[in-house]
Amino acid sequence: MKRSIRVWLATVFALCLGSLAPQPLLAAGETGPIILGVPTSLGFTSGKECLNSVVLATEEINSKGGVNVGGTQRKFQVESIDIRDAAPGVPVPEALLGLEKIILDKKAKAILVGPFRSEALLAGMDIIAKHKVPMLGTIAMTPASEDKIKQDPDKYKYIFRVGINVKYFVGYQLGIMKQLKESFGFNKVFIMHQDVLWARGGAKAFGDALQNQGWTLLGTEAYPTGASDFSPGLLKAQAGAAQVILPIFDMPEAGILVKQWQSMKVPALMAGIIVPLAGSEAWKAFEGKIAGVLNMVFEIGSVPVPKVPQSVHYFEAYKKRWGVEVQEQHGPAPAYDSVYVLAKAIETAGTLDPDRLTDALKKTDYKGAIGTIKFDPQTNQAIFGNDPTQTAVGCMIQWREGGKRVVIYPDAIAEDKIVLPSWMKAAK
Amino acid sequence: MFLGTLIYSLVNAVTLALVALGFNLTFGISGIANFAYGALYVLAGFGSWILLNKLGLPLFVSLPLMVLVTSAIGWLLYRIILIRLRGMTISEVIATFGVGLAIVEFFRYLGFVEFKYTLPVFVEGSLFIGGVYLDLQRAIIVALGGVLTGSLWIFTRHTKIGLAFRGIAQDERTALCFGIDSDHVAALSMAFGAGLCALAAVVILPLGTISVDAGYDVLLKALAVCIVGGLGSSIGVIVASFIVGVAQTFSAMYLGSHWMMIVTLVAILAVLVTRPSGLFGKQKQLEERI
Repeated sequence: MKRSIRVWLATVFALCLGSLAPQPLLAAGETGPIILGVPTSLGFTSGKECLNSVVLATEEINSKGGVNVGGTQRKFQVESIDIRDAAPGVPVPEALLGLEKIILDKKAKAILVGPFRSEALLAGMDIIAKHKVPMLGTIAMTPASEDKIKQDPDKYKYIFRVGINVKYFVGYQLGIMKQLKESFGFNKVFIMHQDVLWARGGAKAFGDALQNQGWTLLGTEAYPTGASDFSPGLLKAQAGAAQVILPIFDMPEAGILVKQWQSMKVPALMAGIIVPLAGSEAWKAFEGKIAGVLNMVFEIGSVPVPKVPQSVHYFEAYKKRWGVEVQEQHGPAPAYDSVYVLAKAIETAGTLDPDRLTDALKKTDYKGAIGTIKFDPQTNQAIFGNDPTQTAVGCMIQWREGGKRVVIYPDAIAEDKIVLPSWMKAAK
Repeated sequence: MFLGTLIYSLVNAVTLALVALGFNLTFGISGIANFAYGALYVLAGFGSWILLNKLGLPLFVSLPLMVLVTSAIGWLLYRIILIRLRGMTISEVIATFGVGLAIVEFFRYLGFVEFKYTLPVFVEGSLFIGGVYLDLQRAIIVALGGVLTGSLWIFTRHTKIGLAFRGIAQDERTALCFGIDSDHVAALSMAFGAGLCALAAVVILPLGTISVDAGYDVLLKALAVCIVGGLGSSIGVIVASFIVGVAQTFSAMYLGSHWMMIVTLVAILAVLVTRPSGLFGKQKQLEERI
């Protein structure tokens, strides 16, 4: 046999023997960094700021030596992927390919932030369950995911939500509406919302609840994502003498709604959720025309609340690290906290085994930027309320002249009461 | 409420016309369906913002400058890419769509995804018409639509370039016999189309915020209006804009806002079934199929 063929055969034989060799008790990955996967719509502000917040928390934890996993210090490493589920026209199955990729290719041990859109979250739950990777979601808000967990708790036990859900933000909004009714005698409301799952659910819940509270619901209008003319809804609100317009929007075009509300001089207070109005830069972007608007901040931390020092710490740390203030009112602060929640759960469990880690996550009691984080035992949803010493907290801010965002609800963290703009009169 | 609906439907119609004019002009003259159109719209918006906020240029310098820059980009798009694909329709569509995707996603990659990107209105204030307030920016859009339509009509009938445009649009080979360089005219039509797109962007974007996804929306709106009106027909674009714009606003007012998109799609379907080349289109081979 030729020498070259013998050498070739020997090489192949040696490689085969090598592949059959027993693996070391600790494979290289088990002392290496713990991969945290962040699959979300990174091309949107919320996704981007959530990723930034995860990186910030990871750097803080790593700078202190990392996480103790059963006696071994290991650091976190963040791997992200843009699944584009929030972009119009992107099919959900396509978006979920990214979710599966980050689990299989990047070997993520936990998923943070998660899908942007509720439709993608609901579809992605089966992927998470299949691969048994704990997920701490912070953006998608539908309560339908909690219903799925309740129906099959063993299958979906790995899925947690640190951010707010629709049910809780409805609660905050209803609290503000009650204050508007009691303080100013308002009782006529017009709802305008984006035609997506979370907003539709919210609008229906608001409509039913407000009518029970004695409000007259003048109408509910749904606008497709990308709509650029809100005059029909505003004209209807004006014709019905609405005192409050309740908007529910997270799309950029909602800026047109605010500007049209201003230019059409609709004499109704804007009080609801318009994501473009939440951040500190909104004052300049809208040329100071948003004084008086009440806007929800889904989780404190996006707004620093002096009565919750961790929220101030997060807000300042984010600004120092990234050079800009957090602009999104939903997602970034719980994303920051979710890293610490995960770290604590890993140290409690002493392992990265998903079942034991999940059990440790269920027992979370952590004081973070969004308040006190505890999960509902049946739904794995972070519990939100009005007292940051007991629960996570969202809030309502009012824009004041000069560009200041003042927290006006809930009372436990409020800095001031609601002040009507000069062009509005109380009804009593 | 009826007067308010009528006024805002007129604004909506003119806005659609402004958005679609550039796309229609380019197709009508050179037969190129410029699928980078929406991306050029977004480019004009962000470019204006950068000139205003980062370079500190005055508003009435930034906006015309951006219109010129976008026109130049349209011209370059033809000269560098499309000249090689002239006549291969599918390739032209793919190439322009690819360029459009690259532009939009490049802005997304650069981080232009926040809500702070807005352009100031030209003039503050509102008109009060029969109990309805109409902001001056929207009034300017309506006025500009009228002026632009008139100007285009004069341009295509009383200027050398305009007559060359019409010549190429009517019969390219005959126009070549008269010494009209079709590549030169096609490049100019891309430049004009891009310029009209940028002009639409700088007057419409101050109404809200600048978003990268607006690129896809604008392309869809332009396509919808051109399909209904007839690709290549300016009169068709105007008429279709009014049909779709008025129908959208009235259906939103009297049926529900979620009907706005449905109306557009129904209009497209109805026209494609009855007159596949559009209301004023002249593509006979499509007519013969039904």
